[in-house]
Amino acid sequence: MKRVNTAFAVFASLLMLAGNAPAQVNSVNDIKTPPLRKFSMPQPKRIVLPNGMVIFLQEDHELPLISGSATIRGGSRDIPAAKAGMLGIYSGSWRTGGTTSKTGDELDQFLESRAARVETGGGVDSTSVSMSVLKGDFDTVFPIWVDVLRNPAFREEKITLAKTGANTGISRRNDEPGGILGRELGKLGYGTDSPYSRQSEYATIASITRDDLLAFHRQTVHPNNIILAFIGDFDSAKVEKKLRDTFGSWAKGPQVAKPASAFTPAKPGLYLVAKDDVTQANIGIVHAGIERNNPDYAAVQVMNEIFSGGFSGRLMQTLRSQRGLTYGVGGGVGAAWDYPGLFRVQMATKSTTAIESVQALKEEIAKLTTAPVTADEISLAKESILNAFVFTMDTREKALQQQVLLEFYGFPSNYFQQYPSLIEKVTADDVQRVAKKYVHPDQLAILVVGKEADFEKPLSSLGQVTKIDITIPEANAGAPASTSSNAEGMALLNKVRDFVGGQAAIDAVKTVRITGARKIHTPQGEMEAQSVSLLQYPNSLRMEMTLPMGQITQVISPGAAFAITPMGTQDIPSSQRDSALADMKSDMLGVLKNASNPKYVFTAGKMEKIGDVNAQILDINADGSMTRWYVDPASGRLVRTQRTSSGPQGGDVVTDYLTWQKYGSVNMVTSTSSTRNGEPYTSQTATNVEINPAVDEKAFVKP
Amino acid sequence: MRRVLLLATLVLTAVSAFGQDLASFEKRTQMRKLDNGLTVIIVERRDAPVFSYATMVNAGSAQEVPGITGLAHMFEHMAFKGSDKVGSTNWDAEKAALQRVEEKYAAYDRLRRAETNRDEAAVAAAKKEWEDAIAEADKHMVNDEFSEIIDRAGGVGMNAFTSSDVTGYFFSLPSNRFELWAFMESERFRNPVFRQFYKERDVVFEERRMRTESSPFGRLMEQFLATAFTAHPYGFPGVGWPSDLHSFSATDAEAFFRKYYVPSNIVITIVGDVNPTEAWPIVEKYFGRLPKSPQPEALRTVEPPQIGERTVVLRETSQPIYLEGYHRPSAADKDDPTYSVISMLMSSGRTSRLYKSLVRDKKIAAGASGFSGFPGEKYPNLFTFYGITTPGHTPDEVAEAIHAEIDKLKTEDVPAEELASVKTRVKADLIRRLGSNSGLALQLAEAQTLYGDWRELFRQVDAIDKVTAADVKRVANATFSANNRTVAKVESAPKGGAK
Repeated sequence: MKRVNTAFAVFASLLMLAGNAPAQVNSVNDIKTPPLRKFSMPQPKRIVLPNGMVIFLQEDHELPLISGSATIRGGSRDIPAAKAGMLGIYSGSWRTGGTTSKTGDELDQFLESRAARVETGGGVDSTSVSMSVLKGDFDTVFPIWVDVLRNPAFREEKITLAKTGANTGISRRNDEPGGILGRELGKLGYGTDSPYSRQSEYATIASITRDDLLAFHRQTVHPNNIILAFIGDFDSAKVEKKLRDTFGSWAKGPQVAKPASAFTPAKPGLYLVAKDDVTQANIGIVHAGIERNNPDYAAVQVMNEIFSGGFSGRLMQTLRSQRGLTYGVGGGVGAAWDYPGLFRVQMATKSTTAIESVQALKEEIAKLTTAPVTADEISLAKESILNAFVFTMDTREKALQQQVLLEFYGFPSNYFQQYPSLIEKVTADDVQRVAKKYVHPDQLAILVVGKEADFEKPLSSLGQVTKIDITIPEANAGAPASTSSNAEGMALLNKVRDFVGGQAAIDAVKTVRITGARKIHTPQGEMEAQSVSLLQYPNSLRMEMTLPMGQITQVISPGAAFAITPMGTQDIPSSQRDSALADMKSDMLGVLKNASNPKYVFTAGKMEKIGDVNAQILDINADGSMTRWYVDPASGRLVRTQRTSSGPQGGDVVTDYLTWQKYGSVNMVTSTSSTRNGEPYTSQTATNVEINPAVDEKAFVKP
Repeated sequence: MRRVLLLATLVLTAVSAFGQDLASFEKRTQMRKLDNGLTVIIVERRDAPVFSYATMVNAGSAQEVPGITGLAHMFEHMAFKGSDKVGSTNWDAEKAALQRVEEKYAAYDRLRRAETNRDEAAVAAAKKEWEDAIAEADKHMVNDEFSEIIDRAGGVGMNAFTSSDVTGYFFSLPSNRFELWAFMESERFRNPVFRQFYKERDVVFEERRMRTESSPFGRLMEQFLATAFTAHPYGFPGVGWPSDLHSFSATDAEAFFRKYYVPSNIVITIVGDVNPTEAWPIVEKYFGRLPKSPQPEALRTVEPPQIGERTVVLRETSQPIYLEGYHRPSAADKDDPTYSVISMLMSSGRTSRLYKSLVRDKKIAAGASGFSGFPGEKYPNLFTFYGITTPGHTPDEVAEAIHAEIDKLKTEDVPAEELASVKTRVKADLIRRLGSNSGLALQLAEAQTLYGDWRELFRQVDAIDKVTAADVKRVANATFSANNRTVAKVESAPKGGAK
């Protein structure tokens, strides 16, 4: 028995020898590499609708999921400098702002309970609306995705939310040194005014309006600007029919064209950003790069691989492995798809080796253009790229994304398949040639972010240094032209002023008390209340309402915000207080009192028929609180206001000003009727209006 | 009624989809334990001719003690430096030279750390001898040969990580390189050579400067953990305290390796275009070379109950950040699924409670979240909440709003619809994570390491499905108390002083 077993073992080990590798492997060279299995990734089906919309469909039945996206031409580079940051607000409030029929919050609830996602995004040259669902939910979620794509509402409350996020980003942009380096390097490479590097500020964010977002949507979202891509567990024929049925009758619109761009890179030289709460210097080096369609692209990629590929590239070898100067260093000649990329090198090192590192990087860059490329370097670089090539299309999703990319930039659909043959042709001479052509050691802008006092010697020991001030401009400093009133806006405002009674009379109003009745529409039905509201300018409001269930008093002022109800006195949450204070800024007399306040911006818009009045739009930015007035330009009478409130009772509130009456020398509105999000909301009738009444000094004090 | 029906349909759809996946997974998954105790899992996904792998070592920075903090991570770096067969031009000569480096370093380090009467001249002389020994050793090595071989073979995504609980290594290769991979991966854990150790220690120190010292968030995290844990090594920074990083030696790293990198403490997962019948003999051949060794002893120290609130405040020139953590039991605890549900309720998506309150309605935070398992989950850890304030708002406002949401968890039952929504998303999220070779390799290896069974990845979803509103209330009350809280915040000091 034992014997048999042994014999079997010997036989088995012989089989192993034959089937695999040498018994003893002492080096990687002892291992034979079989040829890679022949394989071609299934490519998506391409469909073009008569209206110019391009569709790619890629079946993938491994998991019960379906994803889709619309990629739309037009991005941040298509937005004027004065509105820098608008694309972030646009894509950030597109989905959250809901559609004309559903609020974003309703969509959140609907989608998340199905573990479904519909999201919007944006970049330098495109925006997108994407979806991802369990396949069973495809038919339910698809119409929502379409609705978001075509009928966004950009509700003000979500624009405000996106702006809060953007302002948070601005306030924090100097906290992390790596963030400063990346941003400032882009500005050095392209110039501060370039659409590829420009930076948003509080003022540019504040200037962005809902109309801007709707206009950008109108400008870009047309079938001939859109590429659709779907992947997942579906039948292509069925999805094709669904897409044709949904989008086939959509008319073409104007094509988005690539904007002309001029670059004004910084002068070569040394630049310093002072950042004192760090122990490292962040170093960046930049000059112009190339475009993807450059015939030298493949040779440049081999050069980049030699310079900075993985751990074996020269930069990691020299600066990390051999000198221990850094954890991360990398760079190369960048290529963007349809505009020039940048040659960029970045690293971080301890403050006491900042200057040594700058010099070491300069030497490596110079070496690229002078020292010969060794045979070993070129073979390693080419083998690395060629052997890893399979990973550029190892999933159906990557194959799909590549086709979208190629379609978007107008490259041939077999571009990626051709790539290996281009790499194979690259020689050491080619690498040497492109290094000389695209790397310019004499044109480097060198930026160091760090605490210069801790450097081993001052940066100026390497030459003249330009200091970059990264102080964040305050919200209202240097506001761009578009945030100041236009002449037509001021003229229209003055008409309202005169209709109400003139500036002197308006300024004389310190307090207004309005007594009357109001009707409030609630989900339970209509409710009637007697009300007395006391508004003390600029920002204190006391409102007493007598309701069937008792008296409710609300006081909102910067100092105190509370409600007195039959159940006692409660504080009003600060968020609700803030939204009420913002609402107060848009009060008619409050706005008129601020006619010459630079923080109030008045912009006249187009004419619109309100009832039988041909009214003109007056957009008001009351120190960050946005309101729209519709004014009868003939009489100066305010006929309607429109405002999106951010509070919990928020929404799009439209108020029609129905009747007016003169009290003293001031014309006051005596009845109004409002809708919220298109639904009846409230109506008010004043029985008495008192200008500058005697006010109880405790009226705004919490009992 | 209609709404209820709809929901029920939904859950059913998600469940059946999910069941189908687990079954198909079981079919495509094979697991073996080699004679030396090494666990290897192979999952077939045969679309493109590529595969990914993850090696998960059941040892992380929680295995460190004062004096060697940062060593688990340091070893991770050394695992890219090769072996006797990879990276040397003359192993016998290099071996002797490296031994000499260690002797010289020990001598230098002893003199340098003298607590009294330090002899500066002797320190300088010893330092020079040590540096000369390094220069000698460097003559016998091939710089970064290990990574060069993988790069040349078409490897992508080559990297590694060290967490408090585990150390993971991973990359992907074309499938015709399977045997090359088996050789290389087994080689670095069979006889790793600690060449260029002290250069790499400088590199790691740069990593510390980058991630921790030069980042307000990094500084805050380090202080948060150091404050929250008084006894357990979860309080140590994974990258190491500066003094330890300046001192520990290759000899220390080798001792750590011998103790923890034993086959029975390692799981390897391979996912992709691999034929198990052909792969097993190769796996046995190469990984069978790792010597069998005793399983390391389990960690003794357990964090004692926290009996009073702790606060650490960093006054910085950067913008405010608010963090708070509550001690909770380890991932093995029966309430772990309830913590997962709480985390989803508080943080997942735009319907989550913290988003709705802090971000959407109050606008006091640009982001707010509550999550489990910080800094690890193998041992009792922290349920952590954070808020990134918006301009003009303070960490105190964020704390108040987070506490209001915590109070709701403690006092009100989670509505059935909200709980169902969370469970549906847990299932769908799992399905979404099954679509990538590298992601799968890491997740399966992690589940196998942490729970002793890769199927736990799927079973967790079932366990979460059983969590009730009462569980949420009970666990919230047991965990989120003021005495069990550690607060860490960055407050903005006026510019000038530190500028």
